[in-house]
Amino acid sequence: MTRSDAQALIRSLRSAYAATPKNLKIIDLYLAFSVSSALIQVIYMAMVGSFPFNSFLSGVLSCVGTAVLAVCLRIQLNKENKEFKDLAPERAFADFVLCNLVLHLVIINFLG
Amino acid sequence: MSASPSFSPLVLLLITLITLFSSAFFAAAASPSLSPPRGKKILVLLDDIAVKSSHSLYFSSLSSRGYDLDFKLSGDPSASLRHYSHYLYDGLVLFCPSTERFGGSIDQAAILDFVDSGHDLIIAADANASDLIKEIATECGVDFDEDPSAMVVDHLSYAVSEYEGDHTLIVANDFIQADIILGNKKIEAPVLFQGIGHSINPANSLVFKVLSASHAAYSANPNAKLSAPPSLSGSAISLVSVMQARNNARVLISGSLSMFSNRFFRSSVQQYGATIRHQKAGNEQFLTEISKWIFHERGHLQAMNVRHNKAGEVDEPPMYRINDDLEYSVEIYEWSGTSWEPYVANDVQVQFYMMSPYVLKTLSADKKGVFSTSFKVPDVYGVFQFKVEYQKLGYTGLSLSKQIPVRPFRHNEYERFIPTAYPYYGAAFSMMAGFFLFTFVHLYNK
Repeated sequence: MTRSDAQALIRSLRSAYAATPKNLKIIDLYLAFSVSSALIQVIYMAMVGSFPFNSFLSGVLSCVGTAVLAVCLRIQLNKENKEFKDLAPERAFADFVLCNLVLHLVIINFLG
Repeated sequence: MSASPSFSPLVLLLITLITLFSSAFFAAAASPSLSPPRGKKILVLLDDIAVKSSHSLYFSSLSSRGYDLDFKLSGDPSASLRHYSHYLYDGLVLFCPSTERFGGSIDQAAILDFVDSGHDLIIAADANASDLIKEIATECGVDFDEDPSAMVVDHLSYAVSEYEGDHTLIVANDFIQADIILGNKKIEAPVLFQGIGHSINPANSLVFKVLSASHAAYSANPNAKLSAPPSLSGSAISLVSVMQARNNARVLISGSLSMFSNRFFRSSVQQYGATIRHQKAGNEQFLTEISKWIFHERGHLQAMNVRHNKAGEVDEPPMYRINDDLEYSVEIYEWSGTSWEPYVANDVQVQFYMMSPYVLKTLSADKKGVFSTSFKVPDVYGVFQFKVEYQKLGYTGLSLSKQIPVRPFRHNEYERFIPTAYPYYGAAFSMMAGFFLFTFVHLYNK
């Protein structure tokens, strides 16, 4: 692997990604925010110690849970996915919203 | 009375007020209304009625302090310590060293049962002590020399007299260092002793030597040549020992009956090799003071009113929570011979105990006999006990225990809003905000 090969690879990835629809790219942005938030919390716990462990779990779980739900939404909304061809996008979004409501209810309860 | 109808209610009111105030005054001024620790009836068993007069100074020292002495011969068939479950006497003095069998219903088992029920005992053996007396002493933790003809001989510490004796009349001043047993006044003159010696097991924490023999003493037959080294020698020989049982019964065991006699009390004493001659031997002071201790006129503690409460409250809760602050107090009184006085000491400790003490604190005393302290309940839940185990040389043992459960936090008693967890709170709420924004963006893009 030489430098030009790596650059060619990155360029092709970037152009392929540019072809994805806009709403999927918004979901990807939301996903990046969520995962980075989880990573920041893990690094903080590694520095400070896990004293209110339930708070740590609650914070990390809220980030990871929304990430998981966002991934599910993206899968269901992706037109290239043969499996969910007949699923209405409104139905997918409604499921996403309801699951998120339950998740945040649990998170607030466990936050302590 | 028909005269002045408005006068009699006023009189009644005055009378009730006066009685209320006077009773309040008396209640505040009085110490606890506890009874004296021991009664005053003592049975004295003698094997020779002449002992009553030859030891009259010792007996009068007891009766002058209010004891009711009942003299009986040891073979007296009417002698009895108890009538079914009621004990007829509060103390027993055995001045009958040569008695093989007691009369009446008294025997070795009856005497030991008397001590087991908490009563005090004085035993004096002598040169011709019987096996019965020696067995009773063995049950109390004291082992007399098995040789029946042995006496304590000391060639360096004997009492100088006009004739050269066989050095069995010895002089002893190796006392135990305990003011509570021997009194505040130092015993200046040494004590005269003529009798048999005994030893105690050093592992036994209930028995201790009050008067030990000197290093040159040994226990052997004074009239025979020694064929082997004596088994008991030196300061391992105890001349007078006391035992305080776990039920606080006190037993005095002396190897000489003649040390209680008037002849020894009045005699002057000079130790061989010493220059001064004391006009009066220390026997009277020594035996009077030690009898006071034996019959619980000194060194008797009574604890009452164990109280505990949460800091800032007054009543005793049925349960504590972990990390609570609590206060504990107990009142300890000491019998002074005539009244109960507040006990003052700085070494009474309380343990907060569950299988092992989690908290051990020294109680601080105030002048009224109230010992108190405060501490924080440890971070462990379970069923604890407040234990006070006080064993001090010469004092009755205190063993108090009060059980109290300790519960963990209720679900709404945990800490809220912990500063270390602010990032996690922030992350959770930011995710909620992010989700909310995302729904808008997702629905209204394009």
